Amino acid sequence: MSDRTLRLCVAVTTLFGVAVAGYLTYVHYRPDSLICTGGGGCETVQESAYADLFGVPVALLGLGAYLTVLALVAWDTELARTLAAAVALGGLAFAGYLVALQAFVIDAWCVWCLVNDLAIVPLLAVLTVWRALVPRTPV
Amino acid sequence: MPPVKSPPPPAPASSRRNLLLAAGGAVLVVGAVIVASLVFRGGDGDASETTATIPGGAGALFAGIPQDGAVLGSPEAEVTMIQFEDLQCPVCKTYQAEGLPGIVEEYVRPGRVKLRFAGLAFIGPDSEKALLHVIAAGEQGKLWQFADTLYANQGDENSGWVTNELLEGVSGELALDYDTLAADADSTAVLDQANAMATEAEEREVPGTPWFYVQVGDGEPYEVRPGSFAIEEFREILDDALAG
Repeated sequence: MSDRTLRLCVAVTTLFGVAVAGYLTYVHYRPDSLICTGGGGCETVQESAYADLFGVPVALLGLGAYLTVLALVAWDTELARTLAAAVALGGLAFAGYLVALQAFVIDAWCVWCLVNDLAIVPLLAVLTVWRALVPRTPV
Repeated sequence: MPPVKSPPPPAPASSRRNLLLAAGGAVLVVGAVIVASLVFRGGDGDASETTATIPGGAGALFAGIPQDGAVLGSPEAEVTMIQFEDLQCPVCKTYQAEGLPGIVEEYVRPGRVKLRFAGLAFIGPDSEKALLHVIAAGEQGKLWQFADTLYANQGDENSGWVTNELLEGVSGELALDYDTLAADADSTAVLDQANAMATEAEEREVPGTPWFYVQVGDGEPYEVRPGSFAIEEFREILDDALAG
């Protein structure tokens, strides 16, 4: 896959991440926009003691990370690619922690969180690392 | 002869090393943040440590307002708001704390609107146990106080927070006869009421909780969707219903 295609894939994946993290940030600040549904879960996860990290909503941290990756994709230097991969891998580690929390501590599943943690973040990590290892296309 | 496309050269060793260093650093930072957050949290996430905190004056919001089973408010009130809720639902708890008091003071206490509790138990076993006891409290005229106090003590979903100890404590605080309450909660009559609420929710295709309907007189209840739990939202809904 060419660098240009990889760059596009990273950007699109990041935009999906921005959408999901943006939605979760929105519902964090507007909990009354939610209802409790049959599966339960989202409200429990969003309102659990683990929804904040040092007072900052986890969803907002995710949104910040995605916007950082997006900025790094736009910057597009050797350093930016490496940093994007580092942010994505850090995000992957954090996503693993969040999935473990839902499974073993909170005992509830948030579907949108899982979409983010199990699909978007791993895909972004693979794509950014791949891209960091592919030589840049000369401009 | 067509030009041969040469494969891209492999990433230089320095790139791989930089990537490895940056990735390792990022993972270490994330690990440190996670550990620090867990240390400073001090284990407050353990549901088993949840203790009942039953405030004095529990259910005071409803003092002096007539109750008949699941209905709160004057029987003469022309407008009824039906509330579908699950006692384990955190959003219902938020509504109970932020939305309900304004509605009770502004519309129910003056006798303009009455509220009908419609409990559901779709979240799990704790929902069912809580619901049956709340309906049973209605047999002693304190369904709304009992629900309010349970919401104030709501634990994590299906963590076993609806203990007999909690139910007995709430009964004591509300001056209910716990033995009667427990027997009623186990009775067919109370179970039938819970089933009727579930059937109504099914017929109305209630998608989740809290979910609201307004009924004017004997008319067909219609669904209402407040944009938030602010009293202004409910004012618009209820004033409209009162205006006919």
